[in-house]
Amino acid sequence: MIGDYVDPRKAFGKAVTQLAAENERIVVFSADSGVSSGFADFAKKYPHRYFECGIMEQGIVGMAAGMATTGKIPVFCAIAPFVTARPYEMVRNDIGYMRQNVKIVGRNCGLTYSDLGSTHQSLDDFGLMSLIPGMVILAPQDPLEIEEATKAMIEYQGPVYMRIGNPKIPILFERRPFVIGKGQLLRDGTDVTLISTGSTTRDAIKAADALAKEGISVQHIGMPTIKPLDIELVRKTAKETGKIITVEEHYINNGLGSLVTDAVADMKNVVVKRLGVPEEYAKTSGDYRELLAYYHLDATGIAESIKEFLAAV
Amino acid sequence: MANKDKVIKLQILAAKCRKNVLRMIRAGGHGHVGGALSAIDIITALYFEKMHVDPQNPGMEDRDRFLLSAGHKCLAQYAVLAERGFFDKAILDTYGKLGSVIPGHPDMHKLPGIEANTGSLGHGMSIAAGIAMSAKMDGKAYSVYCITGDGELPEGSNWEAAAAAAKYKLDNLTVFVDNNQLQISGDVREVMNMEPIDKKFMDFGWAVRTIDGNNMEEILDALDALPFEKGKPNLLLCRTVKSKGMSFAENNVAYHFWNASEELLCQAEQELDSCIEDLEKQLESNSK
Repeated sequence: MIGDYVDPRKAFGKAVTQLAAENERIVVFSADSGVSSGFADFAKKYPHRYFECGIMEQGIVGMAAGMATTGKIPVFCAIAPFVTARPYEMVRNDIGYMRQNVKIVGRNCGLTYSDLGSTHQSLDDFGLMSLIPGMVILAPQDPLEIEEATKAMIEYQGPVYMRIGNPKIPILFERRPFVIGKGQLLRDGTDVTLISTGSTTRDAIKAADALAKEGISVQHIGMPTIKPLDIELVRKTAKETGKIITVEEHYINNGLGSLVTDAVADMKNVVVKRLGVPEEYAKTSGDYRELLAYYHLDATGIAESIKEFLAAV
Repeated sequence: MANKDKVIKLQILAAKCRKNVLRMIRAGGHGHVGGALSAIDIITALYFEKMHVDPQNPGMEDRDRFLLSAGHKCLAQYAVLAERGFFDKAILDTYGKLGSVIPGHPDMHKLPGIEANTGSLGHGMSIAAGIAMSAKMDGKAYSVYCITGDGELPEGSNWEAAAAAAKYKLDNLTVFVDNNQLQISGDVREVMNMEPIDKKFMDFGWAVRTIDGNNMEEILDALDALPFEKGKPNLLLCRTVKSKGMSFAENNVAYHFWNASEELLCQAEQELDSCIEDLEKQLESNSK
């Protein structure tokens, strides 16, 4: 039900396990990361399709690519930097260059590991993965969308990177099929276009609600696919409002904001402001929400940034 | 023991494949010749004697797989694939040319018979292990063969694959270490000592044998003995000679990557021609 809180990892693990009942090609790799990725059930139900390799992300990416050459659909989930930055060249060559049907899932993404520090936070994964030709990048926004995105990811033939968070998140939307490469209009408006992705959509909705009460009309786009970006929708909304503000739990550079900026670079009378974490090794806090607020990525911060943006342009 | 005529026939094929390598070098003007020529006897034996493959159907479902972790040795694989009929030998003359399907490191989407896009070192063993795991999982009988260079053994990812291959009892996986003792900066033991290689793999749970990797008879005997031990991945430590078959270049690190001269190319070809001639004579006298 809308408003219920669900652990994203459980939503993901459940979806893979359900799909595996129908699709025998699905196999799971764990780098001592399976249970915390929501695969406890999968491991019990399908022990012969569950490969616990210990902490060896580079080796696992290679093995997953090898398996994919034989028609399997390997799914590998671990803490986001350890499946992206750590084995980057294996993802680039063995999965990207070899065009293999491997699904990489980065969990506890963004600032989720608020107090564990920069080794465990992933603020560069969109950037890293977007540099790999042919890599699809998904950042679903709520638990049901995670389930549907997982289904779409498995059905899609080719390399996919999906990122999910960790603390429980509320169900925001009714269940709907996930279409890779498509954003959705969550709220229509005329003053500014707000484009959010992944975990930030929840606060972006609240920010748009709050601004509506102050008479600011926000057009809000939910963008759960980072690549291929829904360029058509971005350009359409850019034409309508001329002002775009992006928000993501990622570095300001090289993520959603940069891709959106690229998409409108040749358009007249369009300005873009990008919200995210500046280029630094992020602050830490035992309280994830406090850290989001510090970087103005909570509802209050987003609303304030929108007002500043509108005052400046 | 391997049949004598069979050995000679394979030696002739290996010499012909060496000539194919020279043909590509002539087309491109340069190439990683040293490691290609140290590994080429093993690759010849695999494709002509051991592996279940079909040149007319390179993607055949249950084919045996060969991966070159040391992707820069690809001239050897191209040479053998061409000799085995996977593609037209005229393609060998496109080496180094714009848009060639035989680039300086292999590309599975360009050339039939290539199983992985290697070149960056330390990738092949993991990919090969993944394929072998899949075969085990599905109860398939095919085998996976992978050549690594000794110079790439310091890559940590190799040892990740080594551990996983043992855990998953991949006795359908055979890794050949092309132990020619030379890498671009010099002696592998001085650049970064990984000796004793055999003991390291044994400690990881592999079944290990050491052979002369340029001796066709020893190669065939080792291939016949696979799997060495049920439930263990196989490591064949192949003592080889860099640039084997080109007398002026053997054991000379300067030929790791060769900017070839026509004069030396001709000399090498003549050496191989006389080698083939001698072998054919032997074959003939054996049949009398």
